[in-house]
Amino acid sequence: MKLTPLRHVRGFDVARPISIGVMVGIMLPLVILPLLSIFIVGTRNGLRGFWAALVAPEAVFALELSLVTSFWATLFNVVFGLFAAYVLSRYNFWGRNAAIVTISLPTAIPTAVAGFALLLLWGPQGTLGRFLFPQDRSQLMFTAYAIILANVFVTFPLAFGVIKPVFDTMSRSLEEASATIGATRWQTFWHVTLPSLRGAIVSGALLTFARAVGEFGSTILVSGNLAGKTQTAPLYIYAKFNSGEPGSLEAANAIAIVLALLSFVIFSVLFFARDWFEFESQV
Amino acid sequence: MIAKMALAPDTDQLHVSWAPDREQRTGVAASVQSISKRFKKSRVLEDVSFDVAEGESLVLLGASGSGKTTILRIIAGLELADSGRVILHGKDVTDLPARERGVGVIFQAYALFPRMTVEKNIGFGLKIRRVKRKERKETVNRLLELVQLEEHRKKYPWQLSGGQQQRVAIARTLAYKPQVLLFDEPFGALDAQTRVKLRREIRALLKQVKVPSVFITHDQEEALELGDRIAVLNNGHLEQIGTPDEVYNQPATEYVATFLGAANLLLGVVTQGCVEIGSARLPAAKETKRFREGQSVKLVFRPEDVCISQNANLPGACRRLANGVIEEVNFVGAYERLNVRLDLTHRQQVENEAPLYQVTINTPERMTGVPIMITRPKPEANAIKFKAGDRVAVGLTSFSVLPNYTLARQR
Amino acid sequence: MWLIRNRTSILALATLALLAVNACLPKSPSESGGGINITLYGFSIMKESLEKAIYPAFVAKAKREHGVDIRFTSSFAGSETVTNQILQGVKAQVAILSIERDAQRLKDKGFVTSDWHTLPQQGIINKTPFVILVRKGNPKGIHDFPDLAKPGIKLIHPDPVSSGGAQWSILAIYGSELVKSDKQTGGADHARALQILQAVWRNVISTPGSAREARTQFESGYGDALITYELDAVLMKEGNAATDAEIIIPEATILSEHPAVVIDRNVSTAERPVVDAFMQYLWSDEAQRAFVKFHFRSATNDALNQENKELATIKYPFTVDYFGGWDKAYPEVIEGIFRDSVQKRK
Repeated sequence: MKLTPLRHVRGFDVARPISIGVMVGIMLPLVILPLLSIFIVGTRNGLRGFWAALVAPEAVFALELSLVTSFWATLFNVVFGLFAAYVLSRYNFWGRNAAIVTISLPTAIPTAVAGFALLLLWGPQGTLGRFLFPQDRSQLMFTAYAIILANVFVTFPLAFGVIKPVFDTMSRSLEEASATIGATRWQTFWHVTLPSLRGAIVSGALLTFARAVGEFGSTILVSGNLAGKTQTAPLYIYAKFNSGEPGSLEAANAIAIVLALLSFVIFSVLFFARDWFEFESQV
Repeated sequence: MIAKMALAPDTDQLHVSWAPDREQRTGVAASVQSISKRFKKSRVLEDVSFDVAEGESLVLLGASGSGKTTILRIIAGLELADSGRVILHGKDVTDLPARERGVGVIFQAYALFPRMTVEKNIGFGLKIRRVKRKERKETVNRLLELVQLEEHRKKYPWQLSGGQQQRVAIARTLAYKPQVLLFDEPFGALDAQTRVKLRREIRALLKQVKVPSVFITHDQEEALELGDRIAVLNNGHLEQIGTPDEVYNQPATEYVATFLGAANLLLGVVTQGCVEIGSARLPAAKETKRFREGQSVKLVFRPEDVCISQNANLPGACRRLANGVIEEVNFVGAYERLNVRLDLTHRQQVENEAPLYQVTINTPERMTGVPIMITRPKPEANAIKFKAGDRVAVGLTSFSVLPNYTLARQR
Repeated sequence: MWLIRNRTSILALATLALLAVNACLPKSPSESGGGINITLYGFSIMKESLEKAIYPAFVAKAKREHGVDIRFTSSFAGSETVTNQILQGVKAQVAILSIERDAQRLKDKGFVTSDWHTLPQQGIINKTPFVILVRKGNPKGIHDFPDLAKPGIKLIHPDPVSSGGAQWSILAIYGSELVKSDKQTGGADHARALQILQAVWRNVISTPGSAREARTQFESGYGDALITYELDAVLMKEGNAATDAEIIIPEATILSEHPAVVIDRNVSTAERPVVDAFMQYLWSDEAQRAFVKFHFRSATNDALNQENKELATIKYPFTVDYFGGWDKAYPEVIEGIFRDSVQKRK
């Protein structure tokens, strides 16, 4: 759909290039150049240095760990988001609004606070930890599972926030029609509701995944930061950045480039495929 | 489409699979007994009862808020009544969820599943009943043929017109042989022309497959055309149920009378087999039989049931009501509409006096006369022309006399 | 009031007020008042001794003797982190580091131009031996570094890439074996030392960025043991009665030596005299006593150490000189042995 602008001026409209120029000009130092500088520093040691930084076993491990932990956190949050959206838009109960607010809470909490909270809860002296993970037994914290847990917390409301509005605006009569035809609640959910949520589920999942991959503040506290064992990509970047070894800065940026590219791909998909996501609005 | 369907060679074969057991069935298909429902403080439905016979199409007619949608949803099982029972083919389904009732509902916006093709929509009811694929395909094919949508089978709902979507909705319900079809204002979203065309098609289709149906509408013309019987609802209360003729020409209450068409209303008193209104006396022996002498009544008559004449001679079938003066004459296309003021003052009429005399337009009677509306069909209007100011005798060919409960019916 | 006509205008006013309050950056408490500001960046465990003793004493002294107002601004993190921050442009004027190698890095990049070896004690302001912290009652029976290699022990250890204390710790573990075997057999047993270092590192469950962060994790209840500076261990026992911990003194252990350097690049000529005065102050008896009070060991006068009863006696102490100084220790032990043989082998 091409946008043909309204003609305001006779002849050549100078406001157009100026407006575009101003917009790009503001974006340049704030967004474009920082991203560019990562690319520049990351490739400062030449292509060979860049490649060496990428294939370093700890770097590879860090990227894999980030992808895997983000995957599981995303899976959980999408499924739960679906489930919670269903419960909250179909059932009315005392405390319903409080539940909705609680689900949205994690975005307001600084990630470092989230990390602390988890440490204090699950540690050997923690409220739950003292029963489930006492001093002598193996711990939940400082493992990859802790990373998944932290990611789940921090990205909790994202998929839910995308799916619930679709639920709310979905016509009740579709479900009623399905019921009168004879479908059980589960059959209705599977055949009627879910297909209409397809777009929201995918975009919710992508959003959650992108956010989880980049999570830092809580992971640095709960993961233990063991290189090659529990160090995610952002943690790896941070450690390299703080390291005294020569070449670390470039290595950090090389991995940062990978993460930036990953986010770029995700958001491009979200953007260009949004027509497919909005398919159902054509009913 | 009707013509096409009438000429379809094997229409009999088509509906055989739906109608066989229905052929044998007679009697009551669905029954609603003493349904009441409150919502917050107001009474949505009050003690509503009616039956739907096999193969019958019943229309629930009423204004918005009259409770007609609610009663439909209660029959479908989408809402619960506070009291009363719903019986489908002899089985009490009041406590059953919608899923288990086997009703077919055609929603106002059709509620077709947007992600499924026409085929899949129609086949949905069979799929969840685990009907084998081959049989399912056959049934879907036959239904597509029945509603004449074979070329559109692979299309999605958003690619179809309103009328086509509605046919898909009907086919979808027919697939699982519903006990009764419930239509929720099915023609609401369509333009006037399509409405008329579609309702005739649907009526024909339903007659073919012999499924009992309940329609909801607020449009009286639609009700009169669609229904074998019409049930008129007013604020949750069933005012009258009867054939279109009964409901139109013998309205049981003022509401029914005014809802189903334009009606003129005059207040009078039963006096010796006549209705006395002011100085007018309308002979109404039959109609006043059930009333006491001196009882206050309402006289209800339709504009098309009035005859007027400039001399004293009214046609035989026409019973004389009063004299009047024509106030306004309007040409409204298919017929002519006249506004007439009746002379009902207490001026005693002298015997044998010619009831008419010449007056000017500005006589007092014209100012104090009671206004009524009359319509005349075009041929008659062309034959005998009237103009404003003409003095005429007014008579009625048909009318109803209803009891006048001034306070009891106030809500 | 004409402004508060109805609910909407109240809401609008409130919003504007909130925005106005948040629009202006808060005023830094340390910027109030005049005088000279000294910015000091130090490695993590220096915090208490500087803020509670050294700064106040120096400020009082400057006021008393010269009538000059002095303020200190500081930041603390792992030694390598601090160094990186200065290299990236933080305007620190004085840096107190855990390992001399970091001072060398600053010199290599031109941030430090003078030679700290000309300063008293070759720039070292204090030292402390490395000890092992365990839970009260020593349930796992840890008495020396090799015990940390026992299966089932969970060890907290700061990250060597960012923490100087972590590197000292590695030298402590490795070196203690060398020293002990040397004393017993007359020859340093490198193979055994490597084996123990590897086994100990297999038990590490968390590598936070600095020694102080490691202590915090241990305090929160994680891990069975922590290798750290003696002073930090004692500070922890002092400060946190809730954490039941014991200090285990290994038979042989390294004494870490902490250099202080001036970041010449960031010191203006006007500030120079004050900064130099502060540096000299660090080696004064007063300051050294203060360090001892905070459980460091004096760099100038061992006799001062008697003033602190908590300081333990080390049977076989050694310093980085045992390895030939940091110039040899870093490439050979940290890079060569630790990074290449221990870490990679996981």
